[in-house]
Amino acid sequence: MTTTPRDHWWMSLALLVLGGGLALVFLGPRESLPGVARGMHDRDVLRIVYTQVLRPDPHVRMLPLSTYNQFILSLWEPLVECDPLTGEPQPAAAASWSWSEDHRLLTLRLRPDGRWSNGDPVTAQDFVRAWQRLLRARIELAFTLFPVKNAESYHRGQREKPEAVGLRALDDLTLQVELDQPRTTLLVELSDPLLAPLHHSTERVLADQSFYEEPAALVTNGPFRLQQANADGYRLETSPAYHGRAGVRLAGVQFIRANSSSMGALLVAAGKADLMPSVNLSAERRWPTRRAMTVESELALGVVANYFNVTRGPLRDLRVRQALALAINREDLIEESDRAQLVPAWSWVPDMPGRPGLTLLTEDANEARRLLAAAGYPGGQGFPVLRMSLPLWMDGNPYPAACCERWFHELGIRTYVTYEASVQRAERINAGDYDFIYGVVVATVPDPADLLTTFTMPPDYSETRWRDDVIVGLLAAANRKTGPERLAILEEAERRAMAAVPAIPLMFERRHTLRSTEVRGWYGDPLARQSPRRLWLDLPPEASLPQAMPGT
Amino acid sequence: MKSFNGNNGTPWWRHWRFWLLVWAAGTLVLAAVLLWDARSWLQGAPRATFRATRLNLWPLEILWWLFIPAILLVQKSLTRVDRHWPWAISLHGLLAVIITALFVVAQAVRLLLVNHLPASFLPVVVNDLRWVGGWSYVPALVYLALILALYAVSFYRQWRDGQRLTGQLQVANAQLETKLVRASLDALKMQLHPHFLFNTLNSITSLIRNNRTREAEDIVAGLGELLRRSLDHKQEAMDTLERELDFLRRYFEIERIRFQDRLKVEFDIDPKCLRAQVPSLLLQPLAENAMKHGISKDPAARLLRVSAQRDGTRLMLTVYNDGPALPKDDAALGRGIGMQNTHARLLMLYGDEARLRLRDNTPQGVRAEIILPFRTSSSP
Repeated sequence: MTTTPRDHWWMSLALLVLGGGLALVFLGPRESLPGVARGMHDRDVLRIVYTQVLRPDPHVRMLPLSTYNQFILSLWEPLVECDPLTGEPQPAAAASWSWSEDHRLLTLRLRPDGRWSNGDPVTAQDFVRAWQRLLRARIELAFTLFPVKNAESYHRGQREKPEAVGLRALDDLTLQVELDQPRTTLLVELSDPLLAPLHHSTERVLADQSFYEEPAALVTNGPFRLQQANADGYRLETSPAYHGRAGVRLAGVQFIRANSSSMGALLVAAGKADLMPSVNLSAERRWPTRRAMTVESELALGVVANYFNVTRGPLRDLRVRQALALAINREDLIEESDRAQLVPAWSWVPDMPGRPGLTLLTEDANEARRLLAAAGYPGGQGFPVLRMSLPLWMDGNPYPAACCERWFHELGIRTYVTYEASVQRAERINAGDYDFIYGVVVATVPDPADLLTTFTMPPDYSETRWRDDVIVGLLAAANRKTGPERLAILEEAERRAMAAVPAIPLMFERRHTLRSTEVRGWYGDPLARQSPRRLWLDLPPEASLPQAMPGT
Repeated sequence: MKSFNGNNGTPWWRHWRFWLLVWAAGTLVLAAVLLWDARSWLQGAPRATFRATRLNLWPLEILWWLFIPAILLVQKSLTRVDRHWPWAISLHGLLAVIITALFVVAQAVRLLLVNHLPASFLPVVVNDLRWVGGWSYVPALVYLALILALYAVSFYRQWRDGQRLTGQLQVANAQLETKLVRASLDALKMQLHPHFLFNTLNSITSLIRNNRTREAEDIVAGLGELLRRSLDHKQEAMDTLERELDFLRRYFEIERIRFQDRLKVEFDIDPKCLRAQVPSLLLQPLAENAMKHGISKDPAARLLRVSAQRDGTRLMLTVYNDGPALPKDDAALGRGIGMQNTHARLLMLYGDEARLRLRDNTPQGVRAEIILPFRTSSSP
């Protein structure tokens, strides 16, 4: 009735072989591996990894991700682009522009040599067509054009005729944009990839997805045109019709789909890609090859903050809000594993090209306790429990809880945190049934005013329920100015907002791009709108994988 | 399908070969679907990608289909190693780890192919999966749950087979009892044989006429005792050799009247053997045969000896008569009802441990020998 293990020698042998094979895989070499040499067909082709869904359509983005911007800006050229150093608008599809005296009418003159990839001239009507399509898209995208006269009402269906929107093609090369309110930032806003023109055939091609079979059917006006498209990504080649073709040093751009950020980084390390935007970094990460790589970092134009509901209880008192702000210790707050991604925020607007960030906030726990006592809550006595609402997906985020811990230990203030589904949370926030919320605001316009509009929203639509008419006036004044004069007005608005403490800026987010050192011309952009047109490759003569330098 | 029928009448759909065939067919269909779907990619078509194939899109759980036969085989083999349960537990733990590792490697291979990474990066991708939480331990849990379920089914079957065996033993016991009853009836039949009975009654009449009433009473009592024991259906299947010999003595007392002074009965019994347990009414058929085919056939024959000896763990019983030798077709003698019943009872009770032999005795007579295990009522 018994069978000894010796009776199944073949089973033991099979297990031994299987286990040995698996051990080899699990314990196999993971460093100093040979990479993949760049093929000749990839010479001068910039290979960019992406992990999110990417469609050759300016109007389908889910988030303004780096690769989306780079992809769209490779295929299409908007009216203007921002100078990498100063952030100032520069001619792109538009050759020149002029404002009316009241800054409500912007007239743009298109460059006469602008051509679609099939040779057709780029006309003002192509922009009108594209922007009318954008106004029919989701509100998260369409709102980009809401400063245009009647644009919002057209989007909401309150106006049926697109002609009512303040967009006019005066002739083939003249585009006129009429605004509801003066807005000098509109010019830099026109650098948004969302506002690219569309050829009259594009909507049909995108609808039937014929570009997979016939890439040339997707007619674009950017520096590159579609060469190949499949589930693994897109390959672009230089567009011979592009007006600035002489300045394009790349032969093409390939967008390679990866399953994850981690796989994308491995593709760069293996020599199969050159750029991996939005890479997640960890200190203990070791690269499997010796390919020379570097990590480019840039501050995202956004801020992580705690927003007070200034209409609630003790939060109406400025001294209480100041005490809560002073009690925060940002350096301690940021976890070690996030130090590459997060930096302390000492103002509402981070550093950006042409406008360094300010230092408007301090931290002083003693002063915080003094202010709280002065407000009638010494040691937190008598202070009601603060209620914070967080979305379910934020369960596990350590930062809201860390703030609450800090307030309890320094000030004796307790907090009740609720994690809610989005619908319930929206109802709670609309009803103002919260003391503070934790959130992130991200700019979509490369301008400080975009973040400061947080404090000019009508109270019922604002997380803080706080609105300062002086700031509203300052931003309105800034919208009529340009250059240093405008920046000075915005700085005054930011100082005033931070002094009133309707919200506590906590952290700025840093974005990282893994770059092979072969890629040259890289520049930082607060909205991650680097154009591959400005980049080039500096390859060794054999275009082989460099082995000399260790990975960064 | 008829060929699937086992010797024990198992229906074809419960035979393992049928399910192996189903598995093989399923595997072929699965492979065909996957390969057909991925043919463009395998042929290196320009726009084809591994990413869009079912090899990539279908869940990895289809691997369980491939593992099923191996799991069943291993589980069945290890169930037999019931006296080596630490080995079985260790091996199942190892298999759980291996299966989990196979899932991780399969996932890594997919990632490798999808992302066009070189094959040398497989260990890198496997390790990378660990950091991003891609090492799922669910397969280990599924495997262990599956094994537990299989063990439960296996133990249930063993229990059911045990129940069936118990039933079969009960039937065998019933058959044994039937044999015993039949032996009793055979004995009764012999005792009630008209010739035997008439001879006995005539002998009793003669004794009474000769005023030998005391002897007549003894014979009547002996005949009564013979009939009583033969008719006692409730008697035990086993009895002591002492009681068995007592029964024989009663029988010979009656027979001695028939044969007058011609019959000489000797008992050569080792006292140690008296407590031995023997099947009830075991010796009477042999004595009957000796009288019928030995003493009765030869007027010169007169001796009948019953002996019992212990030989270690065995008990040897012998019934000897000095009558004529066995006929050439002695097999016919062995096929007699009494001998057949005796043989069947010994086989049921002792299996190969008991033996019945009938042979000529040199230089004269015939011996019937029974060898069986020496057991007493206190034996285990």
